[in-house]
Amino acid sequence: MKAVGARLPRYDGIEHVTGRTTYVDDVRVPGTLWAKALRSPLHSATMSGLDVSPAEAMPGVHAVITAADVPLLEYGHLSALGIPADEPLLAKDEVRYKGQPIAIVAAEDEETAMAAVDAIEVDFDERPPLFDIRKAFDADAPKVHPWGNWYPHFEGEMDRRQIRKGSIDEAFDRADVIVQGVYRPAAIEHVPLETQVSLAVPEANGRLTVYSCTQALYFSMGVIAAHLQVPLNKLKVVGGTVGGGFGGKVDTASETMCALLAQKSGRPVKWRWTREEEFLCSSTRAPWHMEIADAVTKDGWILGRKMLTLHDSGAYARFSPYGLTKHSFHHTGAYTIPNLSFDGFVIFTNRVPTTAMRGFGVTSVSFATETHMSRVANVLGLDPYEVRLKNANRIGDTSPNRIVYTDPSTVSVVKALAGGMEVELAPEYAAMTRDPREGDLLPEHLVSQMADPEAH
Amino acid sequence: MKLTVNGIAHDVVSAPLATLLDVLREDLGITSPKAGCEQGGCGACTVLVDGEPQRACLTPAASLEGLEVTTVEGLGAPESLSPLQQAFTHHYAAQCGFCTSGMMLAAEGYLKRGGTDDREAIQEALAGHVCRCTGYVKIIDAVAAAARGDSFDLTVTAPSAGMTNLGGV
Amino acid sequence: MTQGTEVLFPTSANEAIAQFGDGSGVTVIGGGTIVMPEITYGRMAPTKALLLSRAGLDTLEVDGASVTVGAALPIGRLAELAEDVTALAQCALNVADYEIRRQGTVGGNVCAGEGHDAPRGDLQGPFLALAAEACSVGADGERTEPLDDFLAHRAGRLLLDLRFEKPAASAFAAIDYPHTHEYTVLAVTGVRTTGGETRLAATGLAGYGTRLRSAEAASSDPEQAAAAALKDVTVGDDALASGWYRERTLPVLVRRVLSELEEAA
Repeated sequence: MKAVGARLPRYDGIEHVTGRTTYVDDVRVPGTLWAKALRSPLHSATMSGLDVSPAEAMPGVHAVITAADVPLLEYGHLSALGIPADEPLLAKDEVRYKGQPIAIVAAEDEETAMAAVDAIEVDFDERPPLFDIRKAFDADAPKVHPWGNWYPHFEGEMDRRQIRKGSIDEAFDRADVIVQGVYRPAAIEHVPLETQVSLAVPEANGRLTVYSCTQALYFSMGVIAAHLQVPLNKLKVVGGTVGGGFGGKVDTASETMCALLAQKSGRPVKWRWTREEEFLCSSTRAPWHMEIADAVTKDGWILGRKMLTLHDSGAYARFSPYGLTKHSFHHTGAYTIPNLSFDGFVIFTNRVPTTAMRGFGVTSVSFATETHMSRVANVLGLDPYEVRLKNANRIGDTSPNRIVYTDPSTVSVVKALAGGMEVELAPEYAAMTRDPREGDLLPEHLVSQMADPEAH
Repeated sequence: MKLTVNGIAHDVVSAPLATLLDVLREDLGITSPKAGCEQGGCGACTVLVDGEPQRACLTPAASLEGLEVTTVEGLGAPESLSPLQQAFTHHYAAQCGFCTSGMMLAAEGYLKRGGTDDREAIQEALAGHVCRCTGYVKIIDAVAAAARGDSFDLTVTAPSAGMTNLGGV
Repeated sequence: MTQGTEVLFPTSANEAIAQFGDGSGVTVIGGGTIVMPEITYGRMAPTKALLLSRAGLDTLEVDGASVTVGAALPIGRLAELAEDVTALAQCALNVADYEIRRQGTVGGNVCAGEGHDAPRGDLQGPFLALAAEACSVGADGERTEPLDDFLAHRAGRLLLDLRFEKPAASAFAAIDYPHTHEYTVLAVTGVRTTGGETRLAATGLAGYGTRLRSAEAASSDPEQAAAAALKDVTVGDDALASGWYRERTLPVLVRRVLSELEEAA
């Protein structure tokens, strides 16, 4: 293996510096039409009287699509992971977030497409929106989904992702101090330099070629095929260099609409989102609300952790239950805590649906757990490196979801950080390794966990 | 209207108030300048106009009658990369590559103005250019190296000059 | 639609003035940095566009104590006044980045009008503090008037230049919102004339460029002046900052500018 460890140049490096790299918007197919979307101006409303005929009648407009044109309107992208469909490709009867696409126009040029969008008629009856995930369970909260504001399809039709391990009540009884914290990271936009863009080309043999900026080509191919109700071999999806994705180009947010417009018009159709659309309507990393309460001893052991997480999924589920599940597995961070009580909810609000972004579900909990470790050290008056090293994952410890650690790196990373920050660790801590716990590093509360991880 | 791009004169027929970006990409098929925001906020569309970096998305093409436009293709071709192109390649200054065209032309303008390897001066010159992938350090490494006149082995990439590595990869 | 726009590209000031006429139906484009995005996003569709980049209005003349800044002067060139009019140069160099400063014009910036949920017209501050006069043309011919009068009645007028006398000292203080372009949230310019008069102006507030006359009246006491500044302005929320924040930082910038002017004495 000659490549491992070598400093190889990018295979596309020379293309990048000579302007030859081809992104979707650089693909040139004669006769390509421009697409523009009619988007909901309101956060939450019922919709009626949608009339696209004024747009269709406009010179230079080749096709307009609405919910009625989609063979399978709702398709759950992660139905294979048990997350049922809940989101229409184009809005039908109601809108649940500002920017939700209602109709898409394909026209000779960008300006005609914009004018055609303006000509579409539709009526809205505004409803009060929900934005604060903490209010999701209030009796008087607006209902984003018919039953309410939480995802109800975790295994066993549970309303939450739940983890119970050991005995949390005992841990809280035995604790010297309870350390509490609330952590609320805000939504983050991916802001790739290349905005969302697709180009769909109808081929003479009845197939469709779709040039896509997707990060997940085969996945998007399945989504397009499902909405269009065509077999996979009717599609040729061409991926290529993505101008930045960071998780924001896994939603297959434009390809299916272009494919439908290409079918309906018989012409190639390109939809390139503007930067304003990208900021207003593209999915973001979710905002989160996390509450942690740790039962700790005076000398810095974390006996148990109670945690509540609310994950803001926006108006539809997309991949949020999956993200929350990953989040739950990591809620002890790089540390071993034997007694756990975790409840995590996927909450619906009238925001743009949220999605993956680098470290989906886990960046939030990493931020919360790391900040909380420092808080524990502060409250106890202990050194933050020492508290971390003491509770660090070691070989043979178990994770919240019963994975036995065989190769944990917490100890070496914390020690490298101390070195980099020129902090001298006390000898006892400098000598710590990730070897299986014994002696002082195996207090009573961890003994049972080490002996039989399956018991928890 | 007459527009010279990378040394070739073109007779352009376009909408009267078309932007230079649209003329380059749609009318002339020169797609290296990118539509990152179409409001002048990201720098992905920057080209050189008579040697100075300028946002193509903000420029009415009509205002460029008789002027010379240079895009990144005009800096050098794969067989004959310019020093700046070599620097970007060797220093791994591009990841997705979408910002690279505008970034390089801004850097080219800076170097032509006598820019040195002073990192703050380079940052100031590239201040209008957003990169979401690299974190900018290697871009600045590349421009500094080009300013110094370093020579580049294109079969390997250089470790970052601007970052502290605590160990590992 | 821009397919039908008539593009006018004068190559002299007189041609520009003639083509502007009374301004009806004319969209003036200095560098294009503000107008072109509006067209691209479908918010403007000019019938007539007057491009000023070759009309010879990009002059910068210093004649003894008198300075005349052509309306189409690129913003970045105000750096040439760094010694004589420090605040004006500092304000200009605080705008956006090298490329935008090369393309955007003084006139375009000063006449910018309301932005999208963020202030525009940073240069209004220094020019108002300098008590600059605006020379413009329009339906009733050429007119020279104080800048704030011009700004209040600028419809149908084509700005030709801004004129002012070099100050004895000037100072500029700003709070920026970090970004590629470091949008200016709030800025204060202070000028002390050769006659000993102190003038203060602020941008980034509702209505953008404003003289701080109550603060000027109290300028011998920076603490009083700082407090008085709030009487002259209306603060509001926007995408960059809240009115609450601006209320608390405006006095700070006033004090900073006055103390810099004091040091320059």
